[in-house]
Amino acid sequence: MTEPLVNVSGLAKAFSGRDAVRDVSIRVGAGDVLGLVGANGGGKTTTLRMLAGLIAPDAGSGTVLGSRIGARMGTGRMDRRRIGYMSQRLALYSELSVLENLRFHAQVHGLPAAAASAALARHGCETVAAQRFGTLSGGWARRVQFAASVIHAPTLLLLDEPTAGLDIVTRKALWDWIAAFAATGSAVIVSTHDLAEAGQLPQIMLYRGGQASAQTTPAQVMRLAGARSLEAAVLAEAGA
Amino acid sequence: MSALQRIAAVARAEWTRLRRTRIALTLLLAVPLLQIALFGTAIRPDAAVAVAIAAPSASDAESVAKELQNQRNIAVVAKGKPGSAEALVKRSDAVIGIEVPEARSFANPLAKGGPLRIVVDESNAALAAAATARIEAAYWRTLAQRADLAGPGLQTVRLYNPASRADWSFLPGLIGVTVMIAMIMLGSLSLAQERESGTWETLLILPLGRGEVLLGKLLPYVVVGTIQGLAVMAAGLWLFDLPARGNAASLAAILPLFAAAHLVLGYAIAARARTQLAALQGAVAFYLPAMLLSGFLYPFATLPGWAQAIGNVFPLTHFIRAATGVMLRGEGTGEVLAHALPIALFTLVTAALAALFQARASA
Repeated sequence: MTEPLVNVSGLAKAFSGRDAVRDVSIRVGAGDVLGLVGANGGGKTTTLRMLAGLIAPDAGSGTVLGSRIGARMGTGRMDRRRIGYMSQRLALYSELSVLENLRFHAQVHGLPAAAASAALARHGCETVAAQRFGTLSGGWARRVQFAASVIHAPTLLLLDEPTAGLDIVTRKALWDWIAAFAATGSAVIVSTHDLAEAGQLPQIMLYRGGQASAQTTPAQVMRLAGARSLEAAVLAEAGA
Repeated sequence: MSALQRIAAVARAEWTRLRRTRIALTLLLAVPLLQIALFGTAIRPDAAVAVAIAAPSASDAESVAKELQNQRNIAVVAKGKPGSAEALVKRSDAVIGIEVPEARSFANPLAKGGPLRIVVDESNAALAAAATARIEAAYWRTLAQRADLAGPGLQTVRLYNPASRADWSFLPGLIGVTVMIAMIMLGSLSLAQERESGTWETLLILPLGRGEVLLGKLLPYVVVGTIQGLAVMAAGLWLFDLPARGNAASLAAILPLFAAAHLVLGYAIAARARTQLAALQGAVAFYLPAMLLSGFLYPFATLPGWAQAIGNVFPLTHFIRAATGVMLRGEGTGEVLAHALPIALFTLVTAALAALFQARASA
């Protein structure tokens, strides 16, 4: 691995005295795709939000794109020009059209308006360009959201459950884009609770009750559990 | 299962939701409590009206004060030199000034004499009307008791609002009330809606400073609020013949600041509230006392000291003073800017609070 883009250890966060994340360590470099895998409420979103600088960790230390992260660092010191973040929620302006939303993101990143049209074309969204974001189906909304989160070609892309609730065609499109994006030299950290999808990723971390395993490969998880699929390995590990 | 059972099941679930929604409970309990507290203790429409007496001698002033001392809702607050009654009213030292004429007598044949003048600040017609009537009645009663029905005569001078038009009294304040309610609602609900939908988080991850986000969000609403204020102002001028004796442009110039003050407050409320329902409650909890304690619904002068102290915190109080000053009293830019200063201070403090609440909400 080259110089890591994300290199954090011992991250912890609690909400109202309840641990959301405990002792999480992550190291990813250019071109890496890391999957945060686990059930809902396992701590994946909290981890991504800490890495994005949206919330400050209670403990832990390290760097994200060269910026220090830690309890005393607070939020807001990250280089946001180099981070792309896609929320689990459909968090673009519902009253704006698809094109207007993308133009807004392009402008904020200091890009020309043409970047919005290019993003539309790249992600196959031209047909819904004039449609208001709030009226899009879930699949189209996710495509547009992905286009917005990568419009500035970020060095680090954080995706929170990007394929949850999507049809197979849109899911495949999104995974293809994620792979293509990583191939350009950016790091991608993506959360998912879909074990079939996670099984295709080069690296994963298994989340359970706020704790995460070390970074490993799906094959390694299966080998240790003596299982033929990641799903079987996780179920065996959970004692189900 | 019968329809009654199904209705009972829905009602039970709703009751449980209500009990567990702290905000809804606060809305149901706190707002009525606030209203009871304000109406019960602060709002006294029959409170005493300040009266100043200007008389040729201390004994003359004292004798008029004595005649008035048993009058309900009249408080003699100042005694001045001859000819100073109007100045005392214009300085806002009193709502009503009584100018006692120098009486001609054998000992003082060169006295100017003339009528007893009652100078009334009619910028708040409701406040002055009853007190003026009582003073006039006291005058005639006194003459009757002295069997001196000729007397020196009585002249009532109505300043700022000669026709005692009630609409002139509240229209200047209405400009502020309209903008205040709209801006608090827009500020608090728009941000709360953004937080609920997740777009606020999207904004935070973009390379934007918090100040840039705040200013960017403020600007369109400030424009809307200013236009709204100008529209009410124009309606007052053209439909209700408000005289605009002062510098109306300077009043228009502080409208953006006034709108921004309430937008920023709305953001502070939304940062604490987290949901639109809670934000709505916070907005109501602010603008209700603001309307009651600013002098809009009830004359500011009739509020007790503690209520006036709270009232002075609200930007609406200062805006109403500026608007009344410009529309009726003929105040100029200097006075308007003086009224704008507390509004600017309120905006700065509220902006700091909004930033603090936002930082805490993100932690």
